[in-house]
Amino acid sequence: MSDFLRRQRQSILTLLMLSPGFAGFLGLFFYPMMVTVVRSLRPEGQEVGWTLANYIEFLSKPGTRQVIVLTFVLAISSTLLSIVLSVPLTLILREKPWGHRFFRLTVLIPITVPGLVGALGLLVFYGSRGWLNLFVTQVLHLPKLNINYTVPGLILFYLWHYFPYTALTTLATLEGLDRSIEEAASVAGANDWQVLRHVVLPLIAPGILAGSVLTFMAAFGSFSIPLVTGGNYRPLSVAIYTQIESFTPARWSMGSAMSVVMAILQVTFLSIYMRVLRRPMA
Amino acid sequence: MNLLRQYVQSILNARKLLIITFLLCFALFIYAPFTITLLRSVGKDWFGKAWLPPTLTLDWYKWAWEIGQVPEITKNTLIIAALAVTMSTLIAIPTGWAFGRRNVPGKEVLMSVILLPRMIPPIAYALGVARIFYRLHLVDTHFGVALAHTAICAPYAILVLSSTFEGLDERVLEAASVCGANAVRTFFHVILPMVLPGILSSVIFTFTTSYNELTLTLLTYGVHTKTLPVRTYLAVGEGYLEVTSAMAVILVIPSLFVLFMIQRQVAPEKLVGGFKGV
Amino acid sequence: MTDYMIELRNVTKRYGNIVANDHINLGILRGELMTLLGPSGCGKTTALRCITGHNTPDEGRVFIDGEDVTDVPTHKRELGMVFQNFALFPHMTVFENVEFPLMIRNLDKKKRREMVMDALRLIRMEGYEKHYPRQLSGGQQQRVGLARALVYRPKVLLLDEPLSNLDAKLREEMRFEIRELVSRLNITAIYVTHDQEEALALSDRVAIMNAGRLVQVGTPEDIYEYPQSRFVADFIGLSDFIEGTVVSVENERIVMTVDGLELVVPGLSDVEKGQSLLVFIRPNDVQLFPAGHEGGENVFEGVVDKLTYLGDKIDYRITLGDRLEIRVQTDGRQRFEKGEKVRAYLPRERCRPVIGD
Repeated sequence: MSDFLRRQRQSILTLLMLSPGFAGFLGLFFYPMMVTVVRSLRPEGQEVGWTLANYIEFLSKPGTRQVIVLTFVLAISSTLLSIVLSVPLTLILREKPWGHRFFRLTVLIPITVPGLVGALGLLVFYGSRGWLNLFVTQVLHLPKLNINYTVPGLILFYLWHYFPYTALTTLATLEGLDRSIEEAASVAGANDWQVLRHVVLPLIAPGILAGSVLTFMAAFGSFSIPLVTGGNYRPLSVAIYTQIESFTPARWSMGSAMSVVMAILQVTFLSIYMRVLRRPMA
Repeated sequence: MNLLRQYVQSILNARKLLIITFLLCFALFIYAPFTITLLRSVGKDWFGKAWLPPTLTLDWYKWAWEIGQVPEITKNTLIIAALAVTMSTLIAIPTGWAFGRRNVPGKEVLMSVILLPRMIPPIAYALGVARIFYRLHLVDTHFGVALAHTAICAPYAILVLSSTFEGLDERVLEAASVCGANAVRTFFHVILPMVLPGILSSVIFTFTTSYNELTLTLLTYGVHTKTLPVRTYLAVGEGYLEVTSAMAVILVIPSLFVLFMIQRQVAPEKLVGGFKGV
Repeated sequence: MTDYMIELRNVTKRYGNIVANDHINLGILRGELMTLLGPSGCGKTTALRCITGHNTPDEGRVFIDGEDVTDVPTHKRELGMVFQNFALFPHMTVFENVEFPLMIRNLDKKKRREMVMDALRLIRMEGYEKHYPRQLSGGQQQRVGLARALVYRPKVLLLDEPLSNLDAKLREEMRFEIRELVSRLNITAIYVTHDQEEALALSDRVAIMNAGRLVQVGTPEDIYEYPQSRFVADFIGLSDFIEGTVVSVENERIVMTVDGLELVVPGLSDVEKGQSLLVFIRPNDVQLFPAGHEGGENVFEGVVDKLTYLGDKIDYRITLGDRLEIRVQTDGRQRFEKGEKVRAYLPRERCRPVIGD
């Protein structure tokens, strides 16, 4: 009996300890999310009534498809590029070349400094009067490149901001790799490229995957980068903000409907991504 | 034989050259934007025909300081970040302890629920936050903005602390009690020193998150609670690139300090470790 | 010139200020199993890595099958290697692991399958083709490692402490299996270990290394019976070292005094009266008798200071005369108590002078 009571008391204590976390979750995430969902089902500007009009309007608008496609194009291509950048980079850093500490720190910079600072710097650097165009026009004597406010430019900026997730996770996986496995492969007759292709890459694939998921998540939800550097290209996040900021009165219901669509897309895509890519390693 | 040796050596050198070029390009890719921002913020009459600004000036900083109200805004930013860090840590210590050291049924599921706010883009629930805060008159208060930040900071803090607490070696605690230490002494002399690095890294990361946060801030700020990122964003809209650059430089200084701390105190991998299990 | 399968000529490798290999000269004969033996950090792994090509020596050359391979990359050296931690490819099945060297060599599928199955039969692992390494026990994993190393019939098999991650019993079994396999396939093998028992049990010859230097090379018997330095005598088996002053030199016997005791040891050239001499004797070569036993050459009075029961034998610490302490191991049949007076007999031919240090 006393044992039962003690166990009871222990579970109550656990519950009490968990409660701040869940209170925070419920109050600061779940409740706002619900408010957003409810708002999205209200007619614009009214506090009563239920309607699907906002969703119908959003999903049938001609621009919507472009917005969604843009959001995915930006997120997916920057994720793929982050892998392309991270794999050679981490393979080099793993060898601890001269100055590798400096480069490790460099990898951290984009996720430590405020996104805005990076965005601003990139705009200036790649701008029509920036160093890149200076190099192109004065050294190469080629016509100016338009990078700012274009989709490839945005992808480049996304890459700058979000590749560290892929790189750091890949690096951690790579450094956890047992060197003797690679030595075994080379003794068995595999040259460097074959060791990489048959042994190292398959073994770090889970790490690359885990990192690229993070990069994808960050890129999909990215707000401040496209807000400052997007120009006329507005991915979902910026389009939502526009509903509140650029319309008077603010279109809360429309914005909310778009938010809900975004959350659903994110969760759906993530679960597909995880399921599809996790299978080969099961 | 000598020829072969030379050949092998040349391949090795070519590879080395390739690696050096790659690393230099990478460093350029990351640092060039900062460098040019820094130059912009101190340059005058620089119209992009030259590589470097012709004259140097600190005027833009003066402008940022006076017109941009940087001192007041920095104060706001730090107050908000401090509040957000405190709230997140206070939430995370008991909850992280429960997750890390107590028997929680369905731990994995509960943990991913807690982490949901980091999986869903903040903009997706930012509108809801804004509407609730309007109703509760929390908009344009330091506490309100900090509370909004806590939505994304707390899950992270919980994750970092629960893994810290989980890593506490049971045997060391037992050893302490065998040595005759009571609960209070065990806490202050054994547990606290062991978990301090974990708490520190949680604080660093929540601070950075709050300090950099723009999405939720934009929907909950007001004239009295402009933060540095918000101010910089507004400055971009105002179009004075030089002043904006000066603000960006000011904005980046604490981040560099944090970076230094991270490099000193915490394994960089931990920075993304927060997302593991997602 | 001797027909060496592998030869290290003057191989030197430094890491900063540390000389890991100091002018190593070592030849391994065709079909021989040579052990590199030494304490950890002695440079044996460095020497092995110079052979595999994972290290490039700072000085000296490495030859395999008469060919200078110093600048040949690892994957072209046609070696087979077994690793301490098995180093199987965790993402491949047993079959794929063993097939790997053949796949790299672009052999056709049918031929590969045949060779893999042969190799698996050799190590008695048929039926495990579809298993992943993590589903196997340590011993099984190491067998697969062996199959992977042998499947393409390399010129040389290298084994880097292959048994040290296995438990004691399995270790002994695998030891014989490896010895048997190497003899059957008539392959040249280099076996790196820090376990002297292992080295003595399976080698044709043993090369002992210490602090980056090769200190002695010889058959296991040579090494055990005639260690050329104090280090080797100490490292291989147990030894009592006795240092004394030579009082007389005759043809077959040298007499020396040690702490007032007169010890007779076998004759040795270049020994002069008055010099100091170090001899060693194995603790199980010393014979103990009760106190009343008759005296004679090399029989000394002693007292048991300490004894430890080790199951099949008893380990005594005995003080001879006033202060000469020695260790003696006897089988369990005869027992002396602590503090008991005994007589110890150190047979003359078992007391061997050590020249080097």
